[in-house]
Amino acid sequence: MKLEMGYIHIKDIRFSEESRIQDGILYVSEKAVRETALEDEKLKSVSFDIARPGASVRITPVKDVIEPRVKVEGRGGIFPGIISKTDTVGEGKTYALKGMAVVTAGKIVGFQEGVIDMTGPGAEYTPFSKTLNLVMVCGAQEGIEPHEYEKAVRLAGFRVAVYIGELARTLTPDETTVYETCGLKEGIEKYPELPRVAYVQMLQSQGLLHDTYVYGVDAKRIVPTILSPTEIMDGAIVSGNCVSACDKNPTYVHLNNPVVHDLFEQHGKTLNFVCQIITNENVYLADKQRSSDWTAKLCRMLDLDGVIVSQEGFGNPDTDLIMNCKKIEAEGIKTVIITDEYAGRDGKSQSLADADTAADAVITGGNANQVVILPKLDKVIGTLDYITKIAGASEQTLHEDGSLEVELQVITGATNETGFNKLSAR
Amino acid sequence: MAKIKVVHYINQFFAQIGGEEKADYPAELRVGETVGPGLAFAANFKDEAEIIATIVCGDSYFNENLEKAKADILAMVKEQKPDVFIAGPAFNAGRYGVACGTIAAAVQEELGIPAVTGMYVENPGADMFKNHVYMIATKNNAAGMRGAVAKMAPLALKLGKGEPVGASAEEGYMPNGIRVNFFEKKRGSARAVDMLLKKLAGKPFETEYPMPNFDRVAPNPAVKDLAHAKIALVTSGGIVPKGNPDHIESSSASHYGEYDITGVTDLTEDTYETAHGGYDPVYANQDADRVLPIDVLRDMEKEGVIGELHHLFYTTVGNGTAVASAKAFAAEIGRKLKADGVDAVILTST
Amino acid sequence: MAQNNFEIITNNPLVLGKLRETHYVIYHDISYEEILKEVRDRIHEGHRLLSHPLSGSVKPKETPYKSIIITTGKGMEPDIESLELIENAIEACGKFAFKADLYGAGVYKDFQLIDWTLLKSALESAEI
Repeated sequence: MKLEMGYIHIKDIRFSEESRIQDGILYVSEKAVRETALEDEKLKSVSFDIARPGASVRITPVKDVIEPRVKVEGRGGIFPGIISKTDTVGEGKTYALKGMAVVTAGKIVGFQEGVIDMTGPGAEYTPFSKTLNLVMVCGAQEGIEPHEYEKAVRLAGFRVAVYIGELARTLTPDETTVYETCGLKEGIEKYPELPRVAYVQMLQSQGLLHDTYVYGVDAKRIVPTILSPTEIMDGAIVSGNCVSACDKNPTYVHLNNPVVHDLFEQHGKTLNFVCQIITNENVYLADKQRSSDWTAKLCRMLDLDGVIVSQEGFGNPDTDLIMNCKKIEAEGIKTVIITDEYAGRDGKSQSLADADTAADAVITGGNANQVVILPKLDKVIGTLDYITKIAGASEQTLHEDGSLEVELQVITGATNETGFNKLSAR
Repeated sequence: MAKIKVVHYINQFFAQIGGEEKADYPAELRVGETVGPGLAFAANFKDEAEIIATIVCGDSYFNENLEKAKADILAMVKEQKPDVFIAGPAFNAGRYGVACGTIAAAVQEELGIPAVTGMYVENPGADMFKNHVYMIATKNNAAGMRGAVAKMAPLALKLGKGEPVGASAEEGYMPNGIRVNFFEKKRGSARAVDMLLKKLAGKPFETEYPMPNFDRVAPNPAVKDLAHAKIALVTSGGIVPKGNPDHIESSSASHYGEYDITGVTDLTEDTYETAHGGYDPVYANQDADRVLPIDVLRDMEKEGVIGELHHLFYTTVGNGTAVASAKAFAAEIGRKLKADGVDAVILTST
Repeated sequence: MAQNNFEIITNNPLVLGKLRETHYVIYHDISYEEILKEVRDRIHEGHRLLSHPLSGSVKPKETPYKSIIITTGKGMEPDIESLELIENAIEACGKFAFKADLYGAGVYKDFQLIDWTLLKSALESAEI
């Protein structure tokens, strides 16, 4: 499969009468995006704001972060099975708006977390302090259930992102990269000397607010399967995950999955990037057994030499991660796993809830229990009401000078387990 | 800003007093002197720190007069009031490494003065003390002096100034069981690809999180005929005859004890106590049966539930004791128990 | 697996309310950690875990609620895998600060709901 990605660099976002992109500036009609967001009658209100890198702005509670894209050539559209009709994506031509994101926020449950600081120490930990953020704070109609609210905000974010992506349809990209994988036989013939490598991505799939969707299918109902790694670039995988801000994968991370991109970087040079394998992290133990068996089986059937496995979340997924690693290694396939750690505030506790000596090659995104002081910022988009209740925040969270003492847990994307960041630990 | 004051500890060899034949050299304080490797430290410190005193001690002397040597050296260090204490580097010299680790940890814990040492990773002192004191990983011989000093000196400066210490991978100290965050040069995914390529090529790579390695032992089948079985008691809870006759250490035990309990039916406050330094000893000292249940086993012996209680028990202190030492004790104790025809063992911990 | 082949140990009143008529639910008004220990004791008796004790990304001690599915039947010996999972889960509790008493009533409802939905996702697999 061959996908040409065109990148359009966005230098600023401004509200305007009419939506358009001109000279790298995104002009957004608030009226138009509001109407797009409120197509869903479960949402009562939405307010839009712009947060720029370096500004004294805190966004919380963040639900999702999405990069606007548009499919300009080839089958299907962005977010197939969700916003676009179901069709296999991942080939043709797609444009992405770089340097910006749509950020959805809204209090779906009382203990919701997710902080993006645009400046200060918190900004060093979240990747989304570097993007121009169009933030939409969504309020629900009275009396709707959290799961309906979650879905409404999730879909509103995608609709707005797709609306903005469409503005780029006729533009000329600033930069273009071609991503191409080959069929099995073709790959073996083309790169007979190179090790055959795949990416095993574990998708969060435990239940309400812990879900991921693949072409609109709830990931807990899938059996492990194969994707062309280009499919994710068109939004084949999206986030429905609101809990554990630091190590959940926002849709932005799925679209820009760093393992996929870094394996492509080496594709045809030092390795043959065969495919992406997706599996889940269900709560039921027999499901874990089946999914890890199947993942290892697929790796074997594809005659792989090596895989990188990434996980999403804490606790329950540690078990899937170790099961996958053990079983894939047992097939004689070299495995590297990516995780983060919960080593306690003092760094002295056992980092993972499961362990095995087969996991001898581990990349870590850092200790999520590490405490960080976030100074008071001038402006809050969303609400601080729940900051004392967000994950990792303690009763001393709100200092008298307005600064917050929190664990990295609460910061969106801080210890991402696809290797999105430079943060690590030893 | 005032210079950071450093006291440096070295052995007789690095003080150029002599080799093995001079290893009984007692502890000596040389105020105002910079000796041997101290010169390399001084060069590295530039104007930021100075070695205000050097302590020299023979390796045999230190290890054979442990308590006295430790007390004497602590007194010397205390008197000098340094900002930071440096011991070694010891490279692969075993007794020197143990001395460096012992004294550096003691200075830190007892005097509250930060300390740093350095040695080869396989030096027995490394396993014993790397979790107690910052320990730079060095080469296995003195040819690695320059590299060792290049890491020890900056770390000593940081400690002396009270600056935050980075992760082990940044500073060069041996992982000490405390996870510290830091920013790598490449993002995680790129590091994963690099690691996978190395693993695929059979080249060495270093995992960022070594998995805890549990030594799993499959349990033996249950004892079928308990009424005729000979049962022994073994503990890591440090129960010893009153007075701790074999001086089992309260932590990082270097040996175990074997004691005869022929005729003993109950452990009392007057006869037994615990040597363990890792838990509140009050209740164990009141009634050592709480850790080593001889009273109950004597009852069972009488009632015919068990055949007999073995007349020897084995004891050590599990507190911070190196896994390698514990394994060695266990192998020896196991052989003895087997030779004595013991059928089953009850292991008690704390 | 038929519904009478498993039982649910929970401290979540919402789970009790939803399932008491149709399932075997053992409800205790105890803490998250105590639920884990209760389950551990069952595993010692020979029951096996059917759902992961650390289900959910809400951290132990942050949410007060936990529901776990175990087998009704008992094996002759404790299941080692179940034992490892539950022991690791109990150990993991130690890493988090206790926050479960900081919230308003509405938030407890949300925690109950999340625990219930996590359990429901496991039940969907258990009842196939």
